[in-house]
Amino acid sequence: MLGLANRAEIRFILLTISLLLPLCLLACSSNDRIAGYVHYRINYNPTTLDPALIVDVTGGLIAAKLFNGLVRLDETLKVIPDIAESWDISQDGTTYTFHLRRDVRFSNSRMMSAADVKYSFERILDPRGKSPNTWILEKISGAKAFMKGEDSEVSGIKISDPYTIQLILEKPFSPFLNLLTMTAAYVVPQEEVQRWGEDFASHPVGSGPFRLMEWKHNNHLLLDRNEHYFGGVAMSTGLRYRIIPEDITAITEFELGNLDIISVPASEYRRIMKADAGKNLVSSMEGINTYYLGFNCSRPPFEDIMARKAVSFAIDRKRILETFYENRGSLAHGPIPDILRRWDAPVLPDYDPAYARQLVEAAGLKGKKIQLYITADPEVVDIAEIIQFYLRNAGLSVMIKQLEWSSYKAAINNGEADMFWISWWADYPDPENFLFPLFHSSNHGPSGNRTRYTNKAVDALIEAGQKSSTKKERDHYYRLAEKAIVEDVPWVFFWHKTDITVRQSTLRNYRIYPIYSLDKGLEVSF
Amino acid sequence: MIPLLMGITFITFSLTKALPGDPVFSIVGERSSPEIIEKIRTEIGADKSVIRQYAGYVTLLLQGELGRSYYTNRKVVDEVGLKFPNTLLLAFAALVIAAPFGVLFGFIAALYKGRAADKILTMLSVSGVSMPVFWSGLLLMLLFSLRLKVLPPSGTGGLQYLVLPAITLSLPALATLIRVTRITVLDLMDMQFIRTARAKGLTETAINSIHIMKNALIPVITVIGLEFGSYLNGAVLTETIFGWDGIGRYAMEGIIKRDYPVIMGCLLIGTIVFVLMNLIVDIVYHYVDPRVRLHGTDR
Repeated sequence: MLGLANRAEIRFILLTISLLLPLCLLACSSNDRIAGYVHYRINYNPTTLDPALIVDVTGGLIAAKLFNGLVRLDETLKVIPDIAESWDISQDGTTYTFHLRRDVRFSNSRMMSAADVKYSFERILDPRGKSPNTWILEKISGAKAFMKGEDSEVSGIKISDPYTIQLILEKPFSPFLNLLTMTAAYVVPQEEVQRWGEDFASHPVGSGPFRLMEWKHNNHLLLDRNEHYFGGVAMSTGLRYRIIPEDITAITEFELGNLDIISVPASEYRRIMKADAGKNLVSSMEGINTYYLGFNCSRPPFEDIMARKAVSFAIDRKRILETFYENRGSLAHGPIPDILRRWDAPVLPDYDPAYARQLVEAAGLKGKKIQLYITADPEVVDIAEIIQFYLRNAGLSVMIKQLEWSSYKAAINNGEADMFWISWWADYPDPENFLFPLFHSSNHGPSGNRTRYTNKAVDALIEAGQKSSTKKERDHYYRLAEKAIVEDVPWVFFWHKTDITVRQSTLRNYRIYPIYSLDKGLEVSF
Repeated sequence: MIPLLMGITFITFSLTKALPGDPVFSIVGERSSPEIIEKIRTEIGADKSVIRQYAGYVTLLLQGELGRSYYTNRKVVDEVGLKFPNTLLLAFAALVIAAPFGVLFGFIAALYKGRAADKILTMLSVSGVSMPVFWSGLLLMLLFSLRLKVLPPSGTGGLQYLVLPAITLSLPALATLIRVTRITVLDLMDMQFIRTARAKGLTETAINSIHIMKNALIPVITVIGLEFGSYLNGAVLTETIFGWDGIGRYAMEGIIKRDYPVIMGCLLIGTIVFVLMNLIVDIVYHYVDPRVRLHGTDR
């Protein structure tokens, strides 16, 4: 039989609880910091920290602290030495010779040599491996044969001595050095990869300024500084990445001083900007991204340029940016972000509702139902409704179809949508990255060209740019390609979103970078 | 139990296959070639027929495995083993708060029916049932973390991290328990046997604590059992708000990314837990209520 409490017992239980609770409250505090560590917030648990497998931003930004590539980017987006202290490029633009530093040490104490670079690159291309990032290295000659299993090594990767490695490309590809700054081109130690097998993803070992000490999944990652880092020892003891999915929770943690830097969520933007007046703790940087409304150019109604133009004239992008988006971005002048464009921006036509209505009539679109595919992100839902409003004024009836992320992605990759709202974020900071994947006709679908835009002249211009050896020549082709694209209106070009962060006043030497992978975490401290 | 589990694996497997969306697109990121997509599809076995996939999964289960996550490559069994204790702890803490207070307040409300105490408690329980956790949780965080600075707003770990999510999670159950207990006790008060007890000359304390309390327990146990069972399947919202590393958040992330092994694993574990909880509740009935005893001595 269960013993049942009588009143005296109940009173006793109550008394105990009421005594214990305040005791616990007194003993606890809201403080949650590790002294000397810089505290960051990330939204999600990184899926993997194996450079071969990383495709997400969170994984990439942490991997940047743990690993190094042959080259990296500086704040001005210039390619600078990393593991390679210098390099030569042959006249024809196909042979890259890298001279490696002799003082690079993995955090397991072994010295790095050219063989490690070769191993790491072949690991990405390995037919038995499952790296989704093969495209980064497949321009090296012999890579394709190796990927098919026809060859036991990549013929275009040649080690001349332990500190010199040659990469020979199939054909010249001007942004190749940019590709080598990416996460997948980081160098990993073979013995650790073999020791951990599939679990290397959670036990990464590299040569970077930090070492992973602890990864409590869905809780935090602790990185300690690497005392033997060839690029100098980090100013802070270490970095702590707290995994906090909810924005409002992150804000609370920040206000309590448990986080040193957070990116400012849209809902808090106005309040934080107001509170920051005079304090200068908010930093912002135009991100290398483009937000756009894409048309499916491969089928009616938007295979007709008149229909695409009608939509682009019907929407007041500037007004949406200024009001709804609170100027958290800069207006796009084309697909390429302004910081990457080294030529005069194309001029996009202004909002013209009357002309838009004429075009709708002329294209025979009046009253036609058009599907706009979006994700379930609340901000995107609002933008879609604003677009719907503008297009209704122009005589178009838009049906918003909201899908959850993976269904949405499948739908737009397969070309099911008439229009869709999406953004493109740079893999590497080169105009080519905003042209080739997004507009070249060989990349329809999941490779990036989700509008299925096809223009042979544009294809030729992009290819010519890829093959050019001088910057001037390259920019010439890219400028022409961008101009032709803007005239064809495969997108309504909206804006480039600005990254905005806020930090504690105790933090020193903090700076915001245009791409997450640029930040090695060396300078920031207290 | 075994046929039930087989049925569950079949249903959950069919449901995940019927979901729209494709995990491959999330695995490969924003830029990939058709060859890579095909390769990954082969890798995760998505190119085989559904029946062969199901057979493969059942074979895996029989070996005591739940597969590896498509994204993290970590074993689902290990992950569940890490996260389930957290969920259990949170569920248990919420229950420790909800059960005694719910019953006690419900009892008080019934004893003082129509009086101020009853009205206040009824009001509180109505608001407790109606307040969504993403709201009550944030209010608690605002008060205890930001204003009073006594509890950390998020994280998984010691007791201090547990308090806020546990209170948040307990509120709806607490409110339900107050209402259920109140109604049951009120019903019981009008029963013949209570009047008899009173006529026998028993004190009010004895009547309340033995005769009424004991009989009121049956519906209360049902509610507790159901609530606990659902807590053990993870409280997605509470876990997300407070950054608690439980099974609910794990399952949710799996669902968003179409990480089938994770979804299946969580569903399966969840079902087993739920079935077990029902079994435990039935056993408890057996002790509390002589009427449901199968081989009772007082039959």
